[in-house]
Amino acid sequence: MQLSKDDLLKSYRMMKTIREFEERLHVEFATGEIPGFVHLYAGEEASAAGFCMHLDDRDKIASNHRGHGHSIGKGCDVHAMMSEIYGRQDGLCAGKGGSMHIADLSKGMMGANGIVGGGPPLVCGAGLAAKKLGTQGVAIAFFGDGASNQGTTMESLNLATVWNLPCIFVVENNGYAEATSSKYSVACDDAADRASAFNMPGVVVDGHDFFAVHEAAGEAVKRARDGSGPTLIEVKLNRYYGHFEGDAQTYRGKDEVKNLRATRDCLDLFRAKVTSAKLVEDSELDAIDSDVGALIDDAVDKAKAAPRPPADELLTDVYVSY
Amino acid sequence: MSLDDHAPSIGILANPAAGRDIRRLVAQASVFPIAEKRNMITRLFSSLGLLGVETVYMMSDGNGIADRIRHALETPPPPGQSWPRVVFIDMPIEDTAADTLVAVGKMVEYGVGGIIVLGGDGTHRLVASQAGDIPITALSTGTNNVFPAMREATIAGLAAGLVATGQVPVAEGSTRNKALRVDIDGVESDLALVDLCTSTALWVGSRALWKAEGLDQLFLSFAEADAIGLSSIGGLIRPLAREAENGMLLNLAEPDGAPMVVTAPLAPGLMVDIGVEAVHELCPGEAVSLRATGGVVALDGEREIEFSPNQKLAVRLEWDGPLTLDIPRVMAYAAENKLLMRMDTVSSHAKQVNQ
Repeated sequence: MQLSKDDLLKSYRMMKTIREFEERLHVEFATGEIPGFVHLYAGEEASAAGFCMHLDDRDKIASNHRGHGHSIGKGCDVHAMMSEIYGRQDGLCAGKGGSMHIADLSKGMMGANGIVGGGPPLVCGAGLAAKKLGTQGVAIAFFGDGASNQGTTMESLNLATVWNLPCIFVVENNGYAEATSSKYSVACDDAADRASAFNMPGVVVDGHDFFAVHEAAGEAVKRARDGSGPTLIEVKLNRYYGHFEGDAQTYRGKDEVKNLRATRDCLDLFRAKVTSAKLVEDSELDAIDSDVGALIDDAVDKAKAAPRPPADELLTDVYVSY
Repeated sequence: MSLDDHAPSIGILANPAAGRDIRRLVAQASVFPIAEKRNMITRLFSSLGLLGVETVYMMSDGNGIADRIRHALETPPPPGQSWPRVVFIDMPIEDTAADTLVAVGKMVEYGVGGIIVLGGDGTHRLVASQAGDIPITALSTGTNNVFPAMREATIAGLAAGLVATGQVPVAEGSTRNKALRVDIDGVESDLALVDLCTSTALWVGSRALWKAEGLDQLFLSFAEADAIGLSSIGGLIRPLAREAENGMLLNLAEPDGAPMVVTAPLAPGLMVDIGVEAVHELCPGEAVSLRATGGVVALDGEREIEFSPNQKLAVRLEWDGPLTLDIPRVMAYAAENKLLMRMDTVSSHAKQVNQ
């Protein structure tokens, strides 16, 4: 699938927005102004963008604790996201969810999730709804190598095949479940191997290459929309920061991240490819860089200035009575 | 130099990544589990140990095969067997194709008497680029391959061991292969063993090539009618044996309006109509400039090279590909020379027959 120039620019803007959002949070979190935990997605942008570029309003995604990238990819408002992370009243969830519970159902973003392996069961529900309503919508769960070991994930893979659901299970394998190497903790050699046990296709793609992810994602989305069933895709990628902000990362090699940034950065690789193919000019990408920088600056400024939820509203929206 | 001079040694290169590409999604390609690769390797150990191969060098990897072999080595081999010493090469692990190149380079440095490869066409291509004249025993781990064959590892291990220990001369049991070499701006860049195909696609993307759209020129070193993949296009028009002197070049076109249309099995379970404009013979040493300006080059079915309009690419067929072990020939030589027989057994059996 050859991307149009507009789509190339949109893809770059999406990845750059995620990167700047996360790089800025890395700086701001250290000031102590952001409550709770923050898990950054920097380095993994090609995965969120590679999948979300195929999605539209019919589609739903479920994310995990590292959910900012998926939220931006699915179209959540960056200002409202930043406010949410700062715990402000104008946040996506009125400032009560924070980084790990960002959600915007109007955008089909069913939520970041503090429960490891919490997303896959949700997309089975969303996939079933799409199938029964005949919307041709697709439901994607993004989760990590740690969640790939969870019972909820196995049950969801099983159910998705049994009900032939339009679901895609995306294992974003960044090599570590918190501080534990996936090479130790995942019993099979590639998480994608598990697909065959559930009678669905399982493939591995290079998560540093946007075009590799985009191509595989396109085939999986097409398969789901056509009614051919679920797919498991393992995206091999790397995160640039710790499991959470403040993680000393003593489990990583000394120059591991430095080398990754220098040689396998998905934004650098994207830029090199599209400019050498003469599809996009460097100056056009530079202009996006400037736009995005200004957007993130503005989002941080406005979030800091926004009011916190008043005390008498602290329990609203938090519990649902059926 | 070998870590252990003069002792017969073998390299085993098993690609942990083989068999996980997008063909599992867009076609019905099989999944070849690493557990089975591990089993194949231990069967190789049984054969190699029997024949006196003292050391096996293996690639270190981050994906599981090395760990599984270490685990297998923690328990004694089956009764009556003596496995070789296994050395995992001390090397940086990138979890990329570069690991294979480094590992094979080390095996060559250690002076191994052969390299047994478990993988697909792509893995064999990488090994071939570094192995020089060390004979390769080519074992397929999957259903999407042309260069290596699906063979029982026990027999492959016997053949490789017989050659590595000098019981069967290399010349008696090996065959030289052709290679398709690609030059970029006059500099040799890479090679393919079976097929080299250009496409107007812009990106290597998920690497495997399974669509007809955009295929432009197809260079083949050989083409078998019963092959899977791109070489089947040539094989179904004009089969070309591995040992044939020349290769083949096909200029491809959209099926609509093309003088020939071949229904080719491009991947397991995936038959695709391919238009063919012209078929040419490809003579060894002749450099053919690509007609495409910009696109990608797929080597043995995987998109590997992105090239821009200002780069000049040419392809040459050369008879300087890897030396591969001809397992039936090696085993026939072994039988003829009674290499796996003990004479006392022969004579007692002969007595029984004569009575």
